[in-house]
This record gives sequence, structure tokens and C-alpha cells, in this order.
Amino acid sequence: MQADNDAKLKRTLAEVLGVPEAEIGDDTSMDTVAAWDSLKHLNLVLAVEDRFGLSLTEEQSFEILSYPLLKAVLQEHGVDFAA
Amino acid sequence: MSSRILPSFASSPAGRELRAYADYAAVANELAGLTPDQTKLPPLRVAVLRNFTVEPLIPVLAGEIVAAGFHPQFYVGDFDAVQADALNPNSALYAFGPDVIVLAQWLETLSPALTTQFLSTPPAQIEDAVNGVRAHVREIAGALNANVRAPVLLNNFPLPGEPTLGILDSQSADHQTSTILRLNAQVLADAKELAGVAIVDFMRLFALHGSANCIDERYWQIARAPLAQKALIPVGSEYGKFFRALRGKTKKCLVVDCDNTLWGGIVGEDGPAGIKLGPTYPGSCFVALQQEILNLHHRGVILAICSKNNEADVLEVLREHPDMVLKEEHFAARQINWDDKVTNLRRIAAELNIGTDGFVLLDDSEFEVDFVRQGLPEVAVIALPPKAYASYRSVLTAPGYFDSLSFTAEDRRKTAMYGENRQRKALESASTSLAEYLAKLEIEAEIGVPSEIDVPRVAQLTQKTNQFNLTTRRYTERDVRSFAAADGSDVFALKVRDRISDSGLVGVAILTYENGTATIDSFLLSCRVIGRGVEDALLSFVVRHALHTKGCNRIVGAYVPTAKNAMVEGFYARNGFAALDETDGHRTWERRAGGGMQPEGPVWITLRRADLTHASR
Repeated sequence: MQADNDAKLKRTLAEVLGVPEAEIGDDTSMDTVAAWDSLKHLNLVLAVEDRFGLSLTEEQSFEILSYPLLKAVLQEHGVDFAA
Repeated sequence: MSSRILPSFASSPAGRELRAYADYAAVANELAGLTPDQTKLPPLRVAVLRNFTVEPLIPVLAGEIVAAGFHPQFYVGDFDAVQADALNPNSALYAFGPDVIVLAQWLETLSPALTTQFLSTPPAQIEDAVNGVRAHVREIAGALNANVRAPVLLNNFPLPGEPTLGILDSQSADHQTSTILRLNAQVLADAKELAGVAIVDFMRLFALHGSANCIDERYWQIARAPLAQKALIPVGSEYGKFFRALRGKTKKCLVVDCDNTLWGGIVGEDGPAGIKLGPTYPGSCFVALQQEILNLHHRGVILAICSKNNEADVLEVLREHPDMVLKEEHFAARQINWDDKVTNLRRIAAELNIGTDGFVLLDDSEFEVDFVRQGLPEVAVIALPPKAYASYRSVLTAPGYFDSLSFTAEDRRKTAMYGENRQRKALESASTSLAEYLAKLEIEAEIGVPSEIDVPRVAQLTQKTNQFNLTTRRYTERDVRSFAAADGSDVFALKVRDRISDSGLVGVAILTYENGTATIDSFLLSCRVIGRGVEDALLSFVVRHALHTKGCNRIVGAYVPTAKNAMVEGFYARNGFAALDETDGHRTWERRAGGGMQPEGPVWITLRRADLTHASR
């Protein structure tokens, strides 16, 4: 279940940003991925809400600027990731 | 929840499903690096002119276009640069050369007076604001029409979810809701007048899905992107219906299973008296579904049955059950046996003379659904969710597979015509030769310039005809009118009737003239009347019109091969045309003046000429 959520998040990032899933890691952020512009970010927010069945707050949708931050915000929503 | 199934493109196999937003985003990303040569899908060039952030919608449009079998190519105009693009004939928009234009307008940006500032606007100025929006739309759409042939998809305006006056708003025709209703009605009237503009009904979409779900204030304030995540797929797939209708991808035939689809239970086990069908739940759900299927029949969708059953059991229900809405005569073909459904769907296609890509299969069995998706990926399959009977009606209608932009008298009569074809086959087996049979049919062909009433049918035929179609060029009503009105071209419509029935307008030829050469731009015939010689009658008329009436030196025609039109490969050769060189994979034929008498067409056809006074001379 925990591993599933991590895989799901990586797949969502990979699909929305158009980068290989294997390259998604702790250093994946708006600063390191060229394709991650503000419009892709909007698509990412929508895709994450859709895939995880939750609604991010305004503040959170601005915070999720990297893979670790995304994980942290999803954990606030009760999504389980392996420690 | 319905989903779209993708065809194979590039290295992606057929059968991928589009369900969630991320599925659409993934497809859009894959396409980003590919050209139509690599995907092996014909391009569809879509220009989006907008006054709000449409970017989140683009992946959904892209997925819908791939699902329809095209490679999407987008031009997205700059934010609120609609005028600059539309009014300047040298703009990047026109350089892009769109096939379709999406004109996406958000009322809050277009007219604060009608939205956020409704109450601060003096009542006298409200009418000015309404006229201002209409003038803007007319100016833009008019300029687009003048510069490019692409149809324009214009959205109307959602009603306010929370009008400024609250409950009082609904108490007066001068208030906000009524004003926007009036504006939408006037924009529709303007669109009809302009031609080439179709309305995408945001008002209905937002009512269906709820404004509260469709508009996300966060994204509106942050990024001027009003559409909420929940609205993206509904709105994008609504545009998908237009893309399919405009590009001849409207499905033609609904093939239905019987047990647990037309009725609850299994007739072979429960017996005709034991199946669930009637005024109370769950039988009422199947009555409702059947009524929806009957509505499709009245819209011109051909119905067929494909069921693993004993035929006698199913026929007994069709003929005897008092609560059956659908009767035997509503079905143009049926395969009720124990053979597999891929084989049976192929048999139905052969009997009705239409391609399996025109089919939608409605079935409850997961096994059959998967089997057909594997064996015939071009068939759209609607899987009925087990035991969710009350949802069946909307599961059938929501995808809009049969949606088209015209509804003609021929559509209303279509299934009856297929029944009449069965009578013709009976007459054929009673005749000793084909010529004798055709003579017995007493075929009358009437060829003339299409009247204004005929124009939608002519455009529809160019959009829907795949098999007997020499060049497969798709035209809008506006295109047809401009061919008919121009000096350098003519449009001819063929109407056919015989002693059994009136088939209506079934054939179209479009000619263009330049420097003594007549070119057959389009030549097509509905598959319902193939094989009776009316195509030869139309061609011989066209040849005589070009060489005698118009005095051209020669008439040329091309065959542009597609996956569907192999049947007309030899059409020109068979009719005395001489082959010219092959260019761009098109073979071209010609017929020169002075080569003796031009053929009169088959002897068994009585040719009538409708009024030709409008044809160019």
C-alpha cells in the first residue's frame, strides 16, 4: 500500500512532466526539471488531486514544488508512504 | 464511468484507456515529441483562441483527438489576443492553417458588467453590455469566416451559480440569470446567421455537472484558469464530440446484446415471462434504456442485435413481450446464435454494408467486452456496469458516439431503408438476371443543384461517406454553399427512388473548372444505393455537363486511396476514363471532349434533371 502510493506519485509526476519514471527522486523539483513550468504545475496539481482523490488547499498547491514536498503534503492528507 | 479507448499510435499499442486526467496528460506528453508521420495518424490542426487559461484543457483535447484517430496539432493564441489573431490576415493563427478553431470565451473577462459588476451597472447599460458581447463575437467569428474555412466552435456562457441578487435574481426577467439566458439565445441566433459557427453548450454542461464542480475559484484567481479539475474531462470530451462529428467519425450503428442489456435476466433460463422488464425496478431501468435506444433509432442510428441465444427465444420476446419498447422491425440486422461476437459483428457489417468502425457495441458481459476490444479495436464498446441498472440509460448516451451536427429527413428514415433493402434482396432472388432485377426496380435518378434545404445533407454525406468516395474530402455546409455559389465550381446532388422506396439524397459530385479543364473534386455515393448503377448515371451526367454544357476540353478525376475506399479504385477506368500519371500517391484519370458520344448511363435508370438554372454555365 505504502509502496503503491509512492509508485503512483512517481508515475503521476512522470506522466504530467513527461520525464522517465526512473528519474523521479528526491532531487526532482521545479528547479531541476526543465519541463516543470507554471502551466505544467497547474496540470500537476489537477492530476495529483485526481489520482489521489483529494483536494489541495491554495497554500498547498503553491508548496508542492518538488517531489519531497509533494510527499509531505500528501502525508498531511493521510496518504501513507514508506518511512 | 465511460472511458475512451485509444487506437495504436507510434509505438503505443491499441486499447489504452483514458479515464483520469493523468492518462490524458500522459498521452499529450508522448505526442509532444512526435510528428504525424511517426504516429501514423492523420493530423488535425486545432487553433484555440481564448481569453482565459485553457492550458489544463489541452491534454484532454489531445487525448480526445487521438481517440478519434487523429494526431492533434495545436496553436494556442496568446492570452486575450483573440482580436489580434482573428482580424489580421497575416497573423500566426492563419499561418498555422487550422482545421478547427476553438473560440473559448469567458464572460467574466469579456464583460464584467454582466458578471461581477452586474449590480453596479445601471440597468440601461445592461443592454449595451449584451450588445457589446454580441458585437465582439460577431466581429471575431466574421473575421475567422472571412479568412479561413475552418469551422469555429464557440462556447456559450454558463449561468451564474451565485447571482448577485440571490433568490431575488430569479424573480425578474431583467436580472442576471435571465439576461445571460437572453444573451446565449442571441449568440446562437448570431451563430446561425454567420454559418460555420457551432455552439458548444457550456450552459448545459455546467448545469449537468454543476457550476460548483466546474468552476474552481482557486485556479481562477491564481492563473485565470476557471475550469475545475472535475470539469476538464467533461468539457474536453464535449469538444471531442464536435471533432468526431466534423471529421466523419460519427458512429452509425448500435449493436446490442440481449440478456442483462435489453432486459434483466437470461431469457433462455428464466423464460420470456421471467425476464425483468416492466414498470417496476429493475425492469423499469431496461424500459428506460430501450426508450433511449429507440430515440437513437429515430435519430437515424441503425440498430442491430448480436446475442448468444436461441434465436426463437429472443424473437418471442421481441414479438410477444408487452413491455418491449423495441420491436423486431427496429433492428436492421441480427445475429442471434452461439458463434463468437467478433465473427457476428463482421457478419452484421457485411449485411449492412458498413464498416465495423461505425459500430458501437452495448454489452454487459466483461468477457464479450474484452473479446471485441481485442478482436475489433475499431468498435466502440460500451460496457454496462454489473447490476447498476439505473445508470444504463446515461451510460449509453453520455459518450455521444452518435452525435452529429446535422439531423436530416434521411436520418429519420434510415433504418426503414435498411428494411426496404431486404425487400429488394427478395425481389433480386426472384429475378433471373441482374439487369432484369434492376429494370423491375424502376429506379429514378434525379440530378440537380442542391437547394438550401439539401445543403446540410450534402455536407453530411461528404463528412460521413467512407467507402464509395473517390477523394474523401470533408466539407462543412459553408463549404458546400461556397462551391455552389462560385462561378468556378458546381455542386450536384443525386436523389434516388425506386418502386420500393424513396432513398432521398444519396450522391454528391463537386466540379471545379479552370482553363478548360473540369476537375472532379468530390464524387461520392451513400453505401445504401451502391450496385444499382446510379453512380454511373451521376458520372455520365457530370461528364456531359463538363464537356457539353460547360464546353471544357477535358474532365479529370482523382482516386485518393484511404483504408476504406478500395471499392472505387477502378471506377474511372471502368467508365471510359484514360489513366494519367500517378502524383503524390493519387491516381488521376481523364476524359477528353470529342471522343464520340458520351455515355448516357445505365438503360434501366430513368434520369430526371432537377432545376439546373443555378449551375454555373
